[in-house]
Amino acid sequence: MTARRLSSPLAALALWLGAGLSGPAAAEVCVTDDADREVCLAAPAQRIVALSPGVTELLFAAGAGERVVGAVSFSDHPAAAAELPRVGSYDRIDLEALLALAPDLVVAWAGGNPREQIDRLPGLGVPVFFSDADDFPDIAASLARFGVLAGTPEEAREAAEELRQEVAALRERYADATPVPVFYQVWEQPLMTVNGEHWISEALSLCGGDNLFAEEAPLVPRIGREAVLARDPEVIITGGMGKADSTWLEAWRDFPEMIAVRRDNLFFVDPDLVQRATPRLVEGTRALCAHLETARGRR
Amino acid sequence: MAGARASRASLAPLAWLALAGLFAQGLALALGSVALAPGELLAVLAGDGEALHRTLVLELRLPRALAAFGTGALLALAGALMQILLRNPLADPYVLGLSGGASVAALAAMLAGLAATLVAGAAFAGALASTLIVFGLAHGGGSWTPTRLLLTGVVMAAGWGALITFLLAVSPVERLPGMLYWLMGDLAYAGSPWPVLAVAATGLVVVLPLGRTLNVLARGGLQAAALGVAVRPLEWTLYLLASLVTAVAVTTAGSVGFVGLMVPHMLRLRLGNDQRVILPASLLAGGTLLTLADSLARTLIAPQQLPVGVITALLGVPTFLYLLHRSRR
Amino acid sequence: MSGLETRGLVIDVPGRSAGRPLDLDIAPGQRWGVLGPNGAGKTTLMHTLAGLRAPRTGEVRLDGRPLARLRRRDLARRLGVVFQERHDDFPATVRETALIGRHPYLAPWQQEGPEDHARAEAALERLELAHLAERELATLSGGERQRVSLATVLTQAPGVWLADEPTNHLDLHHQVAVMGLLAEQADQGRSLVMCLHDLNLAARWCSHLLLLFPDGEACWGPAEAMLVPAALERLYDQPLTCVEVDGAPVFVPRR
Repeated sequence: MTARRLSSPLAALALWLGAGLSGPAAAEVCVTDDADREVCLAAPAQRIVALSPGVTELLFAAGAGERVVGAVSFSDHPAAAAELPRVGSYDRIDLEALLALAPDLVVAWAGGNPREQIDRLPGLGVPVFFSDADDFPDIAASLARFGVLAGTPEEAREAAEELRQEVAALRERYADATPVPVFYQVWEQPLMTVNGEHWISEALSLCGGDNLFAEEAPLVPRIGREAVLARDPEVIITGGMGKADSTWLEAWRDFPEMIAVRRDNLFFVDPDLVQRATPRLVEGTRALCAHLETARGRR
Repeated sequence: MAGARASRASLAPLAWLALAGLFAQGLALALGSVALAPGELLAVLAGDGEALHRTLVLELRLPRALAAFGTGALLALAGALMQILLRNPLADPYVLGLSGGASVAALAAMLAGLAATLVAGAAFAGALASTLIVFGLAHGGGSWTPTRLLLTGVVMAAGWGALITFLLAVSPVERLPGMLYWLMGDLAYAGSPWPVLAVAATGLVVVLPLGRTLNVLARGGLQAAALGVAVRPLEWTLYLLASLVTAVAVTTAGSVGFVGLMVPHMLRLRLGNDQRVILPASLLAGGTLLTLADSLARTLIAPQQLPVGVITALLGVPTFLYLLHRSRR
Repeated sequence: MSGLETRGLVIDVPGRSAGRPLDLDIAPGQRWGVLGPNGAGKTTLMHTLAGLRAPRTGEVRLDGRPLARLRRRDLARRLGVVFQERHDDFPATVRETALIGRHPYLAPWQQEGPEDHARAEAALERLELAHLAERELATLSGGERQRVSLATVLTQAPGVWLADEPTNHLDLHHQVAVMGLLAEQADQGRSLVMCLHDLNLAARWCSHLLLLFPDGEACWGPAEAMLVPAALERLYDQPLTCVEVDGAPVFVPRR
């Protein structure tokens, strides 16, 4: 469902969204991107290229799906995104293919796209929005700003509001939940987890999950198996390689003295739901919280 | 006249290589993930054509093709100089750890989150520092021999390799892809082609008058000294020049391997070892080779893009082994 | 024509504490032979005489001027070296190799001219190499390669020839031909110093001899004064028998 309603007075609207508006010109739309740059379009974008799977998902969620004309590899959600023309992969953009799509806005992923390539685009007449959403407030704010840029502000605002409410509901529901020490496994070889700044860790803490590696410096630290054994988590959660893959969890059964193994608190979540910072993260958070509740029931 | 005959004979291969270079540039302009008909390409070159086509050809393909040519030329020149310096036809800047030093410095800069220009500056400083370390250590007890220099370089290269692995191991996961691609050598990050082209032209102007002297140096340091060559200053000039040239190439395209090793060696098998021919021929052939390789990298599995270093290695290894095998007497 | 002198020269042989200082006067037209067992420092002496290696003490003078004060290029026009070792790592033809002898005479940007080529061709002719001119060095036999080295110095046309084992790898015919060539250079007023392994070649072709002992001891003088069996036996630590053939001494090792 997308809408092409043109917004009524944009100035008021953007102020209302709190998305950082400037310039009262009638058709011009301006927002501040995640690199703190002001991005202004003479008119809402009609042809958008999204340079990461997460950005693509955000644009669709903001009601701008019909205006996305190009995406990168692995942009598979929603289903319509999988059909979009490709302009390379997130870490290696095919600038020719991108330009051939004649975009009037490129939404880049600040944390993943090669800066050298993106920096050439403004010189070639293509406005760039740097996106770097990495928590729920960011996701909501991104939706709102994408709506402004794509001319779907109301739908975007609704999506953002819905997200905020769902997160608030989760927060309220688990406000009094007892803490559960958790190890979240991102990868098996090498063994990787997330630190406290990662949205997965934040999602866990929403319902009382206590990330045992929250203090590590890297966002996605590589750790040793011994460190996990030493901290003896009550719960181990992993996304695994694919939706039905549980081999990573089975490997922990070699250590039956661990609390998580003893109580069979080895859980799997759909990686698509938690490993991208998009509205689907709410669904992923619900799944994480349900697992933590299960673990509390086994005490 | 024998002399006139020799110089005329040497001009023919250079002319052919220049033609090949032009052909490669044309091909690089014609090829891309967006297909252009020959007519459309000609229209752009003639000064009109569609706006999109003009952007593709003039803004994307042309600077990149020129940067590829300049980088390839520099790498081949650096290789040719290093080979003479070490009196070893199989030496190149990578063997001596120059590009390793550049890579370590650049990766450290990337890890520190520095801007692209600072990463370039770091690569440059890394190559020069590596030069000084290798020469300083090899000099050690008063005199260095090519063997000692080569050994020091090989060990330094191994050390840089370990540091690279270390840096990759402690890097945040999300930065790894960019760093790895940089290590493989990639022209997607190349900016303006003019620095590489200017350095390549300057390098050629500097080394061409040294051509005959380098021929003599290739016969060994003592022989060269006995024929009136001031060996030590010449060797320092060679090493500094090769380092500078390598640093500029690495800064532009990351560490593209094999061009510096393969191009001069292949040319020698065909053209003999007169540096007055080999040095300009290396520039032209190196530029041509990298332009073609990058055109392949851009189009082989488009819109997916490959790092050009993968192509040079995939093309280079079998070609090189074949030539070595065939030239075995 | 050029003369070479050494004053208080002690060559720098690693691990040797000292040695007799050499005061040699090698005049134009003289043919000096350097004899000594392996490790006596013959090659080191040649490199020192050529200015390629610093002496431990003393100095070498060319026409009265210390080598250290001469520019390398000037020195190379007046003094040529036939090396025992050579580095043929890169492809090169016989003609190109002879032609590098003209290097000291050419400015950096200058191409070899007709005269340079003519000199190189003449040198190849003289060493019976003209038919091999286009051949790669790597395809030559040891003796052919040795003659190419001589052709390079002949092209270089220096006033002083330093030849380290000039007859290495050569068959008998070419040994005699090469010694004849070197003698001819001396007869034309050039100075000649050569290291030789073969006592009898030295006895036959040298006007002066320098005997280098492994301990750094040395003696030198006119050939007939030096060709004393007792001295030579001590030099090589090998009993010798001396016979006379065609008026010249011939030394044969005794069992």
